[in-house]
Amino acid sequence: MRWWKLLTLLVLASAASQAHPEIEAGLTRLNAALAADPRNPDLLLERGELYARHEDWLHAEANYLAAAEITPRHAGIARARGSLALAQNRPADALNHLNEAKALDPADSFVRILRARALRKLGRIDEAGNEYDRVLDRLRSPSPDLFLERAALLPPTEALTVLETALRRLGPVPALELRALAVEETLGRVDAALARLDRLSAGAERKETWLRRRGDLLLRAGREKEARAAYAAALAALAALPDWLRDSPELLNLTKELATLSRSTPSSPP
Amino acid sequence: MILRPLLLLAGITLILAPISAAPSILRGPYLQSATPDSIVIRWRTDTTEGSVVSYGTERGQLTKVAKADGVSAEHIVQLSGLQPSTTYYYSVGAAPLAPPAPGKAVAEDAPGRPSTYSFTTPPPVGTVKPTRIWVLGDPGTKGDIQRAVRDAYYAFTGKRATDLWLLLGDNAYPEGTDADYQKAIFEMYPVTLRTSPVWPALGNHDGRSANSATQSGVYYDIFTLPTRGQAGGVMSGTEAYYSFDYANIHFICLDSHDSGRNPDGAMMQWLKADLAATTRDWIIAFFHHPPYTKGTHDSDKDSDSTGRMNDMRGIFLPVLEQGGVDLVLTGHSHVYERSPLINGHYGKSPTFDAAKHVLQKGSGREGGDGAYRKKRGRIPNAGEVSVVTGSAGHAGSKPPPLNHPVFYIAMNEAGSSVIDVDGLRLDLTFITDKGEKKDWFTMIKE
Repeated sequence: MRWWKLLTLLVLASAASQAHPEIEAGLTRLNAALAADPRNPDLLLERGELYARHEDWLHAEANYLAAAEITPRHAGIARARGSLALAQNRPADALNHLNEAKALDPADSFVRILRARALRKLGRIDEAGNEYDRVLDRLRSPSPDLFLERAALLPPTEALTVLETALRRLGPVPALELRALAVEETLGRVDAALARLDRLSAGAERKETWLRRRGDLLLRAGREKEARAAYAAALAALAALPDWLRDSPELLNLTKELATLSRSTPSSPP
Repeated sequence: MILRPLLLLAGITLILAPISAAPSILRGPYLQSATPDSIVIRWRTDTTEGSVVSYGTERGQLTKVAKADGVSAEHIVQLSGLQPSTTYYYSVGAAPLAPPAPGKAVAEDAPGRPSTYSFTTPPPVGTVKPTRIWVLGDPGTKGDIQRAVRDAYYAFTGKRATDLWLLLGDNAYPEGTDADYQKAIFEMYPVTLRTSPVWPALGNHDGRSANSATQSGVYYDIFTLPTRGQAGGVMSGTEAYYSFDYANIHFICLDSHDSGRNPDGAMMQWLKADLAATTRDWIIAFFHHPPYTKGTHDSDKDSDSTGRMNDMRGIFLPVLEQGGVDLVLTGHSHVYERSPLINGHYGKSPTFDAAKHVLQKGSGREGGDGAYRKKRGRIPNAGEVSVVTGSAGHAGSKPPPLNHPVFYIAMNEAGSSVIDVDGLRLDLTFITDKGEKKDWFTMIKE
């Protein structure tokens, strides 16, 4: 079936369906524009993206296909098709489109992120890692999530290197420190993990939860005396809070727990 | 004979030269990332030039200078070492203002002198100060309704200063482009922008011209937001989501549109750390996609907004409520919907059980059912009021169902919300585009 026949059927079907108000408004505008300029690939792309934003994959794909038939080499269309295929968990198709998008617009960092994700889903971990590395090098302010995605592809020691780079670039973001802390503990590097907890605690207005974590970590490492000291420090931090904050049921429970833990630690952490 | 016209032309050129050469301000100034001792002032000019702010605590005595390196048409200058709760006067330009001659006042409207504006720094963190917050959800339609909503608020607030304002996303329709922002924000609210710091959230329309993963695009170019916890709270490492303090209030802005919403993602881990760290009396969370709505969007439909409303309700709301949040402000749905004091409703609307999920029913109005009351302290799951206020640019074009059972009141009216916090009392008022006060409630901590 030719793309325009498919598109006509889909548009008719969509007109009959109960569309969302935002889709309705957007469709009204785009349908009018396309009626005047039916072979405009950018309008078809925009209409496809409108459907994709509302998980109407079928209509999205039909519009992208129509746009691609009119303009076969269009970076935006290739990127949209790759993104759509990835959202539908079709990583091989996604990669094909994203390879094309990358070739047409090598400067598009988001295409590289999508491509790395497609490669990851295909199990091509080294290639995914390389793509993540390139995009992380290129971006001025990458989101912490990108570093976490990259680190997740690596064995612990190398993951730590990536996380350290992230912490140097972004600062002591808790999500990065906590992931690094977990990796350190996996590697048996308890003191390094403790140092990370101490950094998090130092920057926090309230320290009791970090000190509690410190105690738990020490307990897991079999360092009971230090664990008790950490729990006692958490108790002291709680005591330093204003009454109105300290007297909540949650913190009263925590106080009881810490008091018990600081006196005698069990053989395994709570 | 030919000499006279040439001389005339030369004369005109000389007269006009300084005027045409003077760069004009196309945007701003506007205030960003305000803290008790610092603020960022931004503006845009039509040509590249130096970035200089002259400022001081007395009008006509702008003797202090802050500047950015280099030349640019996008000017970003940070003022540091400010005093809390202090009004500063400032002007922006390519060079410092010439100091007035001793004993001589300088007329503000003197020829060539740039305009003088003012702002007031936030009070010391944790202290109590009557605070007015203007909340605009989905404002950026650029049309008469947006203007009417704005003017209704201006009439309502009168001479009472707006201490800060929140944009709940979809700040500039339809695509969140630079041109959209110019019309929908910078030309719509010039006075508020230069006197009160604005704190935005990313909406789906803003997201069409911005990307949170790469921290790039119009939204990220326009706003300077705290990534390192410099305005209070825990550092997020991104402008997509952040927190800040004002007086005894802790604000949390989430990116419900374009950042990972996984339970173990960076935004969630940051949120948990941030909630555990604050000692402020009030916690107000704001983001674009509402956990509950039956307005121009339907939070019961999985496909609506690609599941973002589900994620905010099912993944983030439990953490916010457990962390003691008091108020959840959202937009996206172009209506006004407001709950009573609720907790623990994370499913679709048929699973709502008033007996289980409403902690205090009624209007929350003094003189009516009475204010909502919470115990002071960071008590998990002590109840929050959920407000969808997404009609600052337009209301629903067709009558929406407005029948989500979680809400005490819902209406298809254009308007904006005003929050007043004074110590342990919080009031929220919804003002329509016609200036009518259509809803209000009070929350008191004891």
